[in-house]
Amino acid sequence: MLANVLLKTLRDQGRTLLAWSVSLALIVATYAAIWPSVQSQPSMSDFIDQMPEAFRSLFATSSADMSTPTGYIQVELLSFMGPIAVLIYSISAGAGAIGGEEDRHTMDLLLSNPVSRGRVVLDKFAAMVLGTFLLAAVMGVSLVLEGSMVDMVLPTDKVAAAMLHLALLGVVFGSLALALSAGTGHTGLSRGVPAVLAVLAYIVNALAPLVDVFDRIQKVSPFFQYIAHDPLRQGTAWDSVLVSAGTAAVLLALAVVGFRRRDVAG
Amino acid sequence: MQAAHSLGSMSGEDIVQTAGLTKRFGRTTALDGVSLTIGPGEVFGYLGPNGAGKTTTIRLLMGLLRPTSGTAYVLGLDAWRQSREVHRVVGYVPGEPALYDRLTGRQHIAYCAHLRHRDDSELAARTAARLELDLDRPARTLSRGNRQKLAVVLAVMSRPRLLVLDEPTSGIDPLVQQVFHAILREHTAAGGSALFSSHVLGEVERVADRIGVVRAGKLVAVERLQELAARSLHQVRARFAEEVSVAEFAGVPGVRDVRVDGRSLACSAPQAALDALLKRVSARQVEDFECSEAPLEETFLGYYGMDTAGTGRPGTDTAGTGRPGGVEAEAGHAR
Ligand SMILES: Nc1ncnc2c1ncn2[C@@H]1O[C@H](COP(=O)(O)OP(=O)(O)OP(=O)(O)O)[C@@H](O)[C@H]1O
Ligand SMILES: [Mg+2]
Repeated sequence: MLANVLLKTLRDQGRTLLAWSVSLALIVATYAAIWPSVQSQPSMSDFIDQMPEAFRSLFATSSADMSTPTGYIQVELLSFMGPIAVLIYSISAGAGAIGGEEDRHTMDLLLSNPVSRGRVVLDKFAAMVLGTFLLAAVMGVSLVLEGSMVDMVLPTDKVAAAMLHLALLGVVFGSLALALSAGTGHTGLSRGVPAVLAVLAYIVNALAPLVDVFDRIQKVSPFFQYIAHDPLRQGTAWDSVLVSAGTAAVLLALAVVGFRRRDVAG
Repeated sequence: MQAAHSLGSMSGEDIVQTAGLTKRFGRTTALDGVSLTIGPGEVFGYLGPNGAGKTTTIRLLMGLLRPTSGTAYVLGLDAWRQSREVHRVVGYVPGEPALYDRLTGRQHIAYCAHLRHRDDSELAARTAARLELDLDRPARTLSRGNRQKLAVVLAVMSRPRLLVLDEPTSGIDPLVQQVFHAILREHTAAGGSALFSSHVLGEVERVADRIGVVRAGKLVAVERLQELAARSLHQVRARFAEEVSVAEFAGVPGVRDVRVDGRSLACSAPQAALDALLKRVSARQVEDFECSEAPLEETFLGYYGMDTAGTGRPGTDTAGTGRPGGVEAEAGHAR
C-alpha cells in the first residue's frame, strides 16, 4: 500500500472510506426497512403531490411516484441524501489532496522524492475518483441487495446507471475542490467554495421549471447532468457522462497547472 | 549574469550554484540576491539568525519555492524547472521534520524507497541503528529528536550526491550529534557535498569546510573555516616578577586589547602574532603564563558583528569596512 502516491492516499483514506461505506449501507437499509410501510400507504404520494410546487421541486425530483420502488428511491435517496453523502466525501478528498499535506507539512517530504508535482496531483485525483466510485458502488449494491430482501425490486442496470451519474457528480465537485487545493493550498477555501457551488447548482437545477433565469442556465448545473434525465428510469445518458467527465478533465488539468506554478507551503 | 551562470553550470564542477537568487513574499524580501557555490565533497555551513532566509534558500534549492529572480542550479540542473531530476540526487532534511503520523519509520523508508524506485532499506536500517532510532514506532509517538533522526535517515538512505540539511541537529542530543557528524564525514569522504544550516557556528565548525552568513536575506560573508581559525584570537595572560608597561606589548603587530595592571598583562592575539608576543614576554621574568584559544564562535561574531543570541547588530570595529571586499574575493575564489 506504500508503492506510490495513489495507493498511499487510498491507504490514508481507508478508515474514512470504510466508515462511509458502512454508513451508506445503513442509510439504504433504513430506507429499505421503511419501504413496506410506505408502499402500503398510497397517501404518501398524495402528500408529495399536494406540496407547493417549489417545495416539490426542491425535495423531490420530477415525476415522483412514491408507490413504486423506483419513485421511492428517487425521492428519498437520489434527490438528497445520496448526493450529500457522496459530495461530502469527494469534496473533502479533493480539498485535502494537496492542501492537506501542506497543512500537515508533509508535502516537503513527499516532494523531496523524485516525483513530479503533476504526478502527485494525478495520483490524488485518481484516489478521489476511486473513493467516490467505491461509495457509489456500495450504495448501488446495497440498494439492489437490501431492496430485494424487502421486495423493493430495482432494475440492476438502472441502479448502476444512476450510481454512475451520482459518482460523476461527486467527481466534478471533487475535482473543483482538488483544483482549488492544488492552486491555492488553502484547504478551507477548497472545501467551502465547491460546497456552496454544489448547493447553488442543486437549487438551479431543482427550481429551473419555476424560475426563468435558472431554466436558462440549468444545463450548466452538474445536477442537471446527474438527475435531470431520470437515470433510475432512463439509464445512462452518455452525453451527460461526457459533459461530466470533460468538466473533471478540465479541472484536473487546471489543478496540475496550478500546482506546478506555485510555491509549496512549508 | 545570465552568461556567468551558464558558464558555471557547464563546467560541471559545482554541485550547487546560485546566482542572484531572490525571493519575495508579497512585500517581504526573504532572500536578496544570494550567489553561492558549493563544490564536490564540500560541506557548506549556512549560518544566520532567525528569519534570515536560510530555510528560504534551502526550499528554493529543493524547487519547493519559485525564485522571484535569479537562478539556482544543482548539478547543472535548474532547481525549479528540473526539480524532479534534482531530487534524484539530493537528500533533504526539512527544517520542520514533518512525518506521516500513522506510518512507522520502516513504512516511511518503504514509501520513500518506492518513490525513488530503489531499495535502500538496508542502509536506512543501518543508519537508524547507528542513531539509535526505533523504526517500528508510528511517527506520531516519536519525540522531537527521534523525528529528526528519522528525517536524517530518509535523507541519507539513497546515498545522494548532495545533502540539504535545514538545522538537522536541532533537538538531537550531543552524543547522537557526533554520530550524525560521522555520517556526514562518510558522505563527504565518498565525494558527497552538503549544505548545513544552523544558527550557531559551534554546531557546524567541526564539519564545515566553508561557512556563509546570511542576514536579512543577504549573504554577508563567506569564509573558509581554516582561514577563520588562523585569524582566531588567543587570550594571553601573564604575571611577571616586576611591573611592566603597556608600551612593551602594544607594539607587537596584531596584538589587541592590551591591558596592564601592575605586574599582570592581559591581551588577545591572532596565531600569527604569538611568536613575537611570546618573545617579548619571555624577555621579562615570568611567574605565570596562560594562553587559550577563544572559541571560533567568538572570533566569528567579532568579525561579523552578530551577538550570540543570533540577532544581527552592526559591525563595530574596523573589520566592518573591510568586509564586503573580503566576501567578494572569497566568493570569486570559490567559483
Ligand atoms: N511563506 C511565507 N510568506 C511570507 N513570508 C515568509 C514566508 N516564508 C518565509 N517568510 C519570511 O522570510 C524571511 C526568511 O524566513 P526563513 O524561514 O527563510 O528564515 P530562517 O533563516 O530559516 O529562520 P529560522 O532560523 O527561524 O529558521 C522571514 O522574514 C520570514 O518571515
Ligand atoms: Mg529556518
